Amino acid sequence: MRIASNWVFRETSRLGFAAVLLAGSIQAQADLRVFACEPEWAALAQELSPRSVVYSATTAQQDPHQVQPRPGLISKMRKADLVVCSGAELEVGWLPVLQQKSGNRKVQSRDEGLFFAADYVETIDKAESTGPLAGDIHEDGNPHLHLDPYRILDISKALAERMANLDPASAKIYRDNQSAFADRWQAQIETWEKQAEPLKGLNLIAYHSNFDYLLNWLGINTVGDLEPKPGVPPSSRHLASLLQKSQSLQVDGVIYASYQNAQGADWLSKKLGVPNVELPMSVGGNEDSHDLTGLYGSLIQTLLKTVTGSSS
Amino acid sequence: MLATASSTDFFDPKLSLILDGQYTTEKSALSERNKGWGIGHIELGLSSTLGDYFYGKYMGTLHEHGSKIEYETEEAFIQTLALPDGFSLRAGRFLSDVGYLNGQHAHADSFSSRPAVYRGMLGDHYYDDGARLSYVMPTDIYWVLGAEAFRGKKMRAVGITDPESVGVYTAFTKIGGDFDEENSWQLGLSYLRNRNGAGVSELDHDEEEHEDHEHHDEHGDHEEHGHEDEGHHEHAGHDDHNHSHGAAYTGKDTYLAEAVWKWAPGGNYKYQSLTLSGEYLISKNISQTIKNDENHEGFYLSGVYQMSPEWFAGVRYGEVEGYEAHGDHFHEQTLKETDVVLGWTRSHAMTVKLQYTHQSGDDLPNIAGDMLTLQFTMSLGDHDAHSF
Repeated sequence: MRIASNWVFRETSRLGFAAVLLAGSIQAQADLRVFACEPEWAALAQELSPRSVVYSATTAQQDPHQVQPRPGLISKMRKADLVVCSGAELEVGWLPVLQQKSGNRKVQSRDEGLFFAADYVETIDKAESTGPLAGDIHEDGNPHLHLDPYRILDISKALAERMANLDPASAKIYRDNQSAFADRWQAQIETWEKQAEPLKGLNLIAYHSNFDYLLNWLGINTVGDLEPKPGVPPSSRHLASLLQKSQSLQVDGVIYASYQNAQGADWLSKKLGVPNVELPMSVGGNEDSHDLTGLYGSLIQTLLKTVTGSSS
Repeated sequence: MLATASSTDFFDPKLSLILDGQYTTEKSALSERNKGWGIGHIELGLSSTLGDYFYGKYMGTLHEHGSKIEYETEEAFIQTLALPDGFSLRAGRFLSDVGYLNGQHAHADSFSSRPAVYRGMLGDHYYDDGARLSYVMPTDIYWVLGAEAFRGKKMRAVGITDPESVGVYTAFTKIGGDFDEENSWQLGLSYLRNRNGAGVSELDHDEEEHEDHEHHDEHGDHEEHGHEDEGHHEHAGHDDHNHSHGAAYTGKDTYLAEAVWKWAPGGNYKYQSLTLSGEYLISKNISQTIKNDENHEGFYLSGVYQMSPEWFAGVRYGEVEGYEAHGDHFHEQTLKETDVVLGWTRSHAMTVKLQYTHQSGDDLPNIAGDMLTLQFTMSLGDHDAHSF
């Protein structure tokens, strides 16, 4: 603790010095060291605290279920003040190892430096039973909750409060940033909902439950999953039965995430003669997804362009 | 594994059961496993955080020991989560963190057996009763320092009649990091001081009648070895007599060096990944009786390629060279082993491995030549988190 508080003290005094130098031209903001499990939480933390040092353990090209608890992540967690993750067991295969090996007591408790987004919103699809062969099922529900903008609002509020608790001296800054973010975000939601009107009622086949929150929000139906069971890769047998099932349905497209292999989706979309769409899983998932707003905008534009052939 | 509990769930138990069965065409050198069908390493574990400050774990195993099935407690420890930054303390029975593979659970291995050098010099995997203090440096690069003190019974050399009660001390350091998004590495050096590690041969092993409890309670048949016919080959490697987790080759000073490199395209471990690892072990001062410069020594190099979410293949080569004391001289024993494995896994819950092993060497029983092993591992219960 001594080392960490020295560090905080040093940083604060350096910032104080900088603030004096810049004499009000820039509002001084406190630093937190934030370790985000996924890039969406890094982006949100950055919105709420632009001066914090934020590190994302994964990219949008990596499956967040399957992450190596590698040394480079342990050293990052060792120095973190705050760990922000999806929760709902998404990171259960690797986060506990990092926590334990980091020896960082600040990030062990969900009341202190460990923040699970899923603790602050309702999740969908809570599984009633899980067995060893059920695949990557989450009893706590679908953890890919960052693609519902209303949930993002609730989470941003909870996260700003957590930052304020951890760093009371800058509490006002986090809360102000959050309310500014919320205003912008609310306005965006209206725009996005208008833009996405033509997507309502589409029938898509997805790869894993990655986009369920997004599709629910936009009124898009999921009529099939490339995975026979969650986390189990598409088998040719499953794809064949999916093809058969789809022929009696109206299918408008097949979607998969930026970290997923396109093979199964390619094959099925060709057979069905429908578009095959790669969607950014998170911030950094494609060129336009440089932040949360960019990510949502890009998801909607990509769907509009490829599935309905229009864009706005 | 470690539950990410809030303070509201003080006790949040996780139960896990690893079922492991296998068929082997031959009995293997420096191994407890029998030919034919057998159980592998069945593990029943219960772990929980205790508030935000402690983590506790119990793990019992069932495994074959000669013709018997044995139940043993391999882990029963408490670890702190809330010492000042970077420090943690663990006490109880647990796997030593020396070397790379030793701290990992066997069911997570890519191969169906530990390398020959582990089987010979660490008793397959070294766990013991003791305490560990470790410290993660606040550096950008991962750097951990640790020290352990153990009872050391499993690492006791042949002929030790009055063992030190804290027999083993270890010190280790590991560094690691990411070259880039796709490439990660770790290097480590460990030292194991074994106060009971230098053997005593019959030569000056005059009847010391006092047998303390320590010596007696667990397969305390070391003395009997000394009376056996020198040429009696069952003696070699002790694997038919000694405890299954006892090391055949011990010394006062053991050094371990480890290197691991992992790669996945885009850092995405879902579809493809490559793991290269290697370790080198050397034990010095191996006998109190025989004046010598001989060292037990061995290494392995392994490469495992995950080619799809469900399939992986691996190759491993390893050697171990050990010395067995016979009165005033040593018999050199060597084992060279090549393994090729093909594995299929479904969401980490079930793994099937087919492994081909070729063994050659000298002066050891059960050198297999060619053998095949088919292994099934099933993980029931809570998701298990594995180390790097």
